[in-house]
Amino acid sequence: MIPSYYQHFCPVKILSGNKAVSNIPFEMNAMGCKKAMIVTDKGVIDAGLINIVKEAFADSDRQIGYIFDETPPDSSNRMVNKLAKLFEKLSCDCFVAVGGGSALDTAKGANIVVSEGTDDILKLQGNEIIKKDLKPMIAVPTTSGTGSEVTKVAVIYNEEKNLKMSFVSDKLYPRIAVLDPRMTMTVPSKLTAATGMDALTHAIEAYTCIQKNPIDDIFARAAIELVRKYLVRATENGSDDEARLGMANASLFAGIAFSNSMVGMVHSLAHAAGGVCHLPHGIANAIFLPYGLEYNIAKVPQSIAEISGMLGGSIDYMEPEEQASVTVSMVKNLLKKLNRISGLPIRLKDAGVAEDKLPAIAKAAINDGSLVFNPVEMDYEEALSVLKRAY
Amino acid sequence: MLSIQKGVRVFRGLPFYPVLQNRVKYTFCSIVLSVLGSAFEVVSKRAPEFNDEISTWEDGRRFAIGILSRGPYITLEKRGDAIRFLGKGLLSPEISMFFKNLDAAIPVFLGLKGSFQVFAENGMIVDGNLSHTMEVNRVANIVNAYLFPGIMLKNVLKRTPRFNLLQLTVKARVYIELMPAFLWHAARN
Ligand SMILES: NC(=O)c1ccc[n+]([C@@H]2O[C@H](COP(=O)([O-])OP(=O)(O)OC[C@H]3O[C@@H](n4cnc5c(N)ncnc54)[C@H](O)[C@@H]3O)[C@@H](O)[C@H]2O)c1
Ligand SMILES: [Fe+2]
Repeated sequence: MIPSYYQHFCPVKILSGNKAVSNIPFEMNAMGCKKAMIVTDKGVIDAGLINIVKEAFADSDRQIGYIFDETPPDSSNRMVNKLAKLFEKLSCDCFVAVGGGSALDTAKGANIVVSEGTDDILKLQGNEIIKKDLKPMIAVPTTSGTGSEVTKVAVIYNEEKNLKMSFVSDKLYPRIAVLDPRMTMTVPSKLTAATGMDALTHAIEAYTCIQKNPIDDIFARAAIELVRKYLVRATENGSDDEARLGMANASLFAGIAFSNSMVGMVHSLAHAAGGVCHLPHGIANAIFLPYGLEYNIAKVPQSIAEISGMLGGSIDYMEPEEQASVTVSMVKNLLKKLNRISGLPIRLKDAGVAEDKLPAIAKAAINDGSLVFNPVEMDYEEALSVLKRAY
Repeated sequence: MLSIQKGVRVFRGLPFYPVLQNRVKYTFCSIVLSVLGSAFEVVSKRAPEFNDEISTWEDGRRFAIGILSRGPYITLEKRGDAIRFLGKGLLSPEISMFFKNLDAAIPVFLGLKGSFQVFAENGMIVDGNLSHTMEVNRVANIVNAYLFPGIMLKNVLKRTPRFNLLQLTVKARVYIELMPAFLWHAARN
């Protein structure tokens, strides 16, 4: 069905495939940039991935201004401000973010601070309030999950208030996304599973929430089919480069889909759990996804039912509600399989969340912006009951 | 039939038509916003679930609702345990919810569409602390539940609330008190 109105936008140039990273200096030149601020974290450096980037710069006249490796998990307002200061002090002219969602979003956050000419990211919040054009950014994801390389979203942890803040703006799209299978080969098995579930959750929420539209449906569908084909393979065998590139594409497609269609209650709960007790984003989504789908079945049975086909289930002639519960069981089966292969926790208890934190998570979840796009309303009591079931 | 269509086309082509049409839309939206502002005040005094929601807000939290880029706008503020309708215009709000144009607002003001749907159709933007905005959104839903007649609520809200007897009497009181409150604000502005 065509919605009564929709919009779609994705201005990102995509480079996908073998040795894609080697094209970064060429692309910088094409954008008129000379000196890059590389944004990454310690884990990515330890995995040896920055060497691949350095090698790419070695045979070009473009420069690396600085390698910022202090990105904390989930990014933070303090580090974003610090990075912005460094960027200006060293007269860099573009960001090259190399890492998972945390590094990419740290670069996006610093880019806002630099371009808006402020000194504190906390002074700018809300939707579409960034007015100035940002500096060019090249995103090199090293996990296959957040899709941040093609989204207009930056999620940054507010250290004072212990909550995750979302910044949303059309200006936040990176200029270029670089998918290189070498960059995700080193991701440990459990993280592969968790980030892959983040990608699947993006695609499924984009496909089932109220901002869904025909263009994003195409991306979401393609993403779900790639996840079905490659997530278990990549989790089982990290050096399967076809599966790695497949998952990198799945994550990117899902990113395009949800950057326009947005996400729903699963992400509200995941953001809340991340804010309250630093539960990693992918693990949180993996745990909440089946419960979120169950919660929404009564309102959007058809959309949820259609997903069973994309996940490889046969399409029988069942009633939508029945077929939708097949989708839920398929997601649960996938989770069990990932749990067996990689130890991915599939209950809150097993992920180390203390039971007395559930009320705080529920309270934060109903204040998370993603909830607006969920097909069904969720109040505090309902959020708490979902959390208890996922515990 | 054809000549009527032709007449309408000619009328719409007259140089003053867009301005006239815009005045009508603007005036309609302006009246609805005044009713809404008054409704926030009345409901905040009467509905217990509204009081629960705003009990955690800091005093003086200001929010605005309106239409870009020439208005109309209204600004409201939490004071004590109720909401005050400060009046028309943008009076330095901390949180704003804006429709992108008059056409995006009108179906919501007519009770044909929920603001959540217009938001999903990219017809609205919000400005300010997102989690505070979510709180404002929740109280706006409560106001709508008291303001719109039952049969329209299924368009306006994602979930139609089931009112108990107490809430129904509150709804009746809201209807009774709304007119004097509206007239009082109209006289003041
Ligand atoms: N901007 C968006 O659109 C968006 C969307 C979803 C999630 N997010 C945010 O992204 C963050 C999560 O990102 P993430 O899941 O990618 O995790 P992450 O960036 O926090 O990385 C997790 C860990 O994996 C390590 N790592 C990353 N790549 C590696 C590699 N190739 N080899 C070995 N180790 C590697 C890192 O060093 C880190 O320790 C959350 O804060 C989440 O809220 C943003
Ligand atoms: Fe996510």
